[in-house]
Amino acid sequence: MTISRRDVLKAQAVATAAAAAGIPLAAEAQNLVTERELTELKWSKAPCRFCGTGCSVMVATREGRVVATHGDAKSEVNRGLNCVKGYFLSKIMYGADRLTTPLLRKRDGVYDKEGDFEPVGWDEAFDVMADKFKAALRDKGPEAVGMFGSGQWTVWEGYAASKLMKAGFRSNNIDPNARHCMASAVAGFIRTFGIDEPMGCYDDFEHADAFVLWGANMAEMHPILWTRLTDRRLSHPHVKVAVLSTFENRSFDLADVPIVFTPHTDLAILNYIANHIIQTGRVDEAFIGQNVRFQRGRTDIGYGLRPDHPLEVAAQNAAAANEADEIDFDTFAAFVADYDVDSVSALSGVPKSKLEALAELYADPDIKVMSLWTMGFNQHVRGVWCNNLVYNLHLLTGKIATPGNSPFSLTGQPSACGTAREVGTFSHRLPADLVVTDPEHRATAERIWKLPAGTVPEKPGAHAVLQNRLLRDGRINAYWVQVNNNMQAAPNMMEETLPGYRNPDNFIVVSDAYPTVTCEAADLILPTAMWVEKEGAYGNAERRTQFWHQLVPAPGEARSDLWQLMEFSKRFTTDEVWPQALLDDNPDYRGRTLYDVLFRNGNVDAFPLADVDPDYANDEAAHFGFYVQKGLFEEYARFGREHGHDLAPFDVYHEVRGLRWPVVDGKETRWRYNGDHDPYVTPGRQIDFYGKPEGRANIFQLPYEPPAESPDEAYPFWLSTGRVLEHWHSGSMTQRVPELHRAVPNALVYMHPLDARELGLNRGQEVRVVSRRGAIRSRVETAGRNKVPRGLVFVPWFDATQLINKVTLDATDPISKQTDFKKCAVRLEPVT
Amino acid sequence: MRTFLLRLWAAMRLPSSHFSLGFLTLGGFLCGIVFWGGFNTALEATNQERFCISCHEMEANVYADLQTTVHFSNSSGVRAGCPDCHVPHDWTNKIARKIAASKEVYGWLFGTINTEEKFEAHRLEMAQREWARFRANDSLECRNCHSYVAMDFAEQSPRAADMHQRFLATGEKTCIDCHAGIAHRLPDMGEQAAESLSPAATGTVRGRAALEALVAENRHARPDDGPRAEAATQER
Amino acid sequence: MSRRILSLAVALVVAASGVAFSQSDVATLRGAPLAEDAEPPPMRPQIDADLRQVRNYPEQPPVIPHAIDGYQVDLNANKCLTCHARARTGESQAPMVSVTHYMDRDGQFLASVSPRRYFCTQCHVPQHPADTAVDNLFIDIDTLLSRGAGPGAADGR
Repeated sequence: MTISRRDVLKAQAVATAAAAAGIPLAAEAQNLVTERELTELKWSKAPCRFCGTGCSVMVATREGRVVATHGDAKSEVNRGLNCVKGYFLSKIMYGADRLTTPLLRKRDGVYDKEGDFEPVGWDEAFDVMADKFKAALRDKGPEAVGMFGSGQWTVWEGYAASKLMKAGFRSNNIDPNARHCMASAVAGFIRTFGIDEPMGCYDDFEHADAFVLWGANMAEMHPILWTRLTDRRLSHPHVKVAVLSTFENRSFDLADVPIVFTPHTDLAILNYIANHIIQTGRVDEAFIGQNVRFQRGRTDIGYGLRPDHPLEVAAQNAAAANEADEIDFDTFAAFVADYDVDSVSALSGVPKSKLEALAELYADPDIKVMSLWTMGFNQHVRGVWCNNLVYNLHLLTGKIATPGNSPFSLTGQPSACGTAREVGTFSHRLPADLVVTDPEHRATAERIWKLPAGTVPEKPGAHAVLQNRLLRDGRINAYWVQVNNNMQAAPNMMEETLPGYRNPDNFIVVSDAYPTVTCEAADLILPTAMWVEKEGAYGNAERRTQFWHQLVPAPGEARSDLWQLMEFSKRFTTDEVWPQALLDDNPDYRGRTLYDVLFRNGNVDAFPLADVDPDYANDEAAHFGFYVQKGLFEEYARFGREHGHDLAPFDVYHEVRGLRWPVVDGKETRWRYNGDHDPYVTPGRQIDFYGKPEGRANIFQLPYEPPAESPDEAYPFWLSTGRVLEHWHSGSMTQRVPELHRAVPNALVYMHPLDARELGLNRGQEVRVVSRRGAIRSRVETAGRNKVPRGLVFVPWFDATQLINKVTLDATDPISKQTDFKKCAVRLEPVT
Repeated sequence: MRTFLLRLWAAMRLPSSHFSLGFLTLGGFLCGIVFWGGFNTALEATNQERFCISCHEMEANVYADLQTTVHFSNSSGVRAGCPDCHVPHDWTNKIARKIAASKEVYGWLFGTINTEEKFEAHRLEMAQREWARFRANDSLECRNCHSYVAMDFAEQSPRAADMHQRFLATGEKTCIDCHAGIAHRLPDMGEQAAESLSPAATGTVRGRAALEALVAENRHARPDDGPRAEAATQER
Repeated sequence: MSRRILSLAVALVVAASGVAFSQSDVATLRGAPLAEDAEPPPMRPQIDADLRQVRNYPEQPPVIPHAIDGYQVDLNANKCLTCHARARTGESQAPMVSVTHYMDRDGQFLASVSPRRYFCTQCHVPQHPADTAVDNLFIDIDTLLSRGAGPGAADGR
């Protein structure tokens, strides 16, 4: 029988009622339950499942179920607080539609791309899946398989996935959805400092005199960091907060200097501030003399669109976007001199008085300033430049790597740093900042992994947006998506993502806990254990690695991503997937399964089951017969130890509330590059940017260049997309918590009341948001939490009923390959 | 000059020798109508939202505030414009308000609030002036549309109905006491905690020293800004 | 129709034991095929009934049982505290903000609400009368205890 979604939902309601039968407590008078055996809860720590802040929560379990959660008072990050999402973590695993068995599209009892989903066992699921992967590898080679993961993978899951893809299948076509989130920040760090991730830490919040938010709506997106910032601002009246955005959001509630600028002109504002610092004589010359080098980056670098797009054809330096030439200070000063207050005010629409007030926060040597940014900078076709340009300001003034002086890139995923970046699950990376293009780096990986030389391929794989294009073009044919919802999250769904997934040549596997829209577009759905249903580790935005134990069992047949990856690897032998030459040179590796080669290598299986804490379950260890997580972590940690990325021994992390790497001699590092705090700084130096030659960071000369698409007569509005406080990770978990769902039930089109009036639209009226690529139906909001300027609309993307990424443009930063979800042109049509 | 005035006075005292009494009476009457009509038209012109927001200061700040509030769009589609709340409806008070408005013309001419920063700096002072006026006339401009006798408590939230019966019916509070800020962003209430509003009411308390001062002060602070029952009038 | 739904319900109740059913449009939150779009649900006003909701566990911040449209909480003023501040609760009869809200980062009680708790809506959210797309099967501790499963049951082992 074939059943519609409506039927499934109705059935679920009945099922729920049945499952919950007999629950209501009697209404008559009850006495308090006081017996200690009954009232005692087992409390354990775990990091929050949502954003990159990395709050620690205490989780109460009883009878194999989570019964309560609250903010961990012992955690440095959040000191007992959670945001509303964190407080409702208890309920995220209990949506009635949890996937509990693999589902395969079938017709007449066999797999069929056009068939309906039918429950199958893990064996059948993996059999069909292995066939498809083997066929793709056999017919087209490693570049025909791909994997898309996320910064929600635990550290060892991302590590195991990376190993399976890069060393097992010998394909670098693995990328995390962190590509959509902070790839521009990564490229910014590497270009300026040569090492990824912030030099400062959250302690900067308690030390800064000024905070500048560059396209980060922290009040909604990083609520607990916002409590620290608010605490600092309101407790100390001298502290100033500047908030920059293309529309007024909740962070403006705390703004002393509120700035709404014309989209994309942040580039010019950044250069204006550099100019102001120079013109007013506030450059820290001693600092730049010792610690800085000047570079001119390539310009006219295109927009990361398909190569035949007219904008790419016209771009001069699309192929050399990341290159730069050394210049001197005077050249740089002359360049930014064009960005005077009058012209930048005219370009950005920001009054001169505000630009000057903002610039002074950086220029005044007595103000310790913390810059914070997320998607406003990173999801930007010149996102890497934005990152480089904000470092310019901190480097020119020497306000960096000391308490309170901190350019700080925030992250969206709970382990964007810990997994995507540090483990290196990007298509060009290996653990600890190593890259596949460097022969020495590959050799290091092969040595640690005990694999023959030449196993890891040299060519970077396809990044997130390119993967969707290659799926559409039928060049990636076997594709595995884990722990993310990319049908909803990726740009230009109607022209790229959906046709790619539904391309008859392709076999798409999606591992998830819930049936998302990505699952619906898949051919095989694998039910997945989530959060505290497995032992895990996340790394937050301040380099803090945090562990948790498995606290409850997963429902039904659901299995963790780690179990899936390792179990799947058993179905391949080296003879099936490695080239003949590699096997000829290394006959010892012949006829072995990828599981043996990758996970029974003496490292990963080095720790016995007995090492597992007897107070907690560990389903993966029990299944594979050794302490999998510890083995994977300790092997992974070899990459970074003594190379500036030192991690503490595995067991320590189960005891502490996280530690910030590098952890050297048991001590974490709060301010890197600072001789007082960082053991890697060359003795005798106060500041040492040791990721770059001579310890000198780069100041970049980069201009304002226009965005890929701007409003015109046919599409007169800017569209910016983003998130809301109450929902995270595409709403796949938060929308299944009734309190969060009822707080913000649907996406809305935030628009200016006068724009609405001109179009004859009333608040609450249905409207179509239309771009050159697609359209959605939504409703008009002229009040509420965001106040947008005229000519711009904002639509959140958490809502599966309104997939705004049907509308967005897949233009990316040409260096970072991160999509600009904040700017494209749309028109609005009233629905009557 | 003096002689001119004397001669004019002498001429005015004489009866007309050229125009009939009827002409003069009727003419004077017609002129009066024209003059009065013109005056009123001018007065009314300054009494329209269009006029108010022809000044950038109003358009960019308070009018922008208004656009997202319940007085701009609501379930019944009744909109309150600037003069509905800020210009008295009866003639005498209206003229008095118009005369007071000369200060605003001065402010406009000399750019007292012509930037966002300047406007914010004066927001408290301007708001307090309006609150004082509302308190003095028992929120007359609210009551032009909203009256206690016309309230249907079944249609209000229980909280709002209770508040209105406890505080509005008894005359203990007037509308503005609870509904300040209903149409415009509130000014910084923290800095003037000692003056009229209860510090606890605003919650904007900065710094340890300020906090300690407030503990002492809280005991005798007179909470003019009463509890809010805003949702009753906020229909969305 | 209803019989089909009932049988499906039964199938789902025992889904863990693997009773077969098939479907092609599995995304329960979606409401339309991926390439199409359903009419967006109407925007509805915030619930303003003033009826407190039972918390799922004592540590959960209560949801706001009334509408808060237009409430200003910013550098200038905090509307929530005009009723919920300690000194105002006599007049307002609103619940006082929890005593935990007076503690600073180090757990020390302050004279007033701690600035770190200043933005109320980071934890407390109003509710809309929206149907939940899927149910949530969270079981609260009292219910769990009243089932009499007794102590000593496995903690996820």
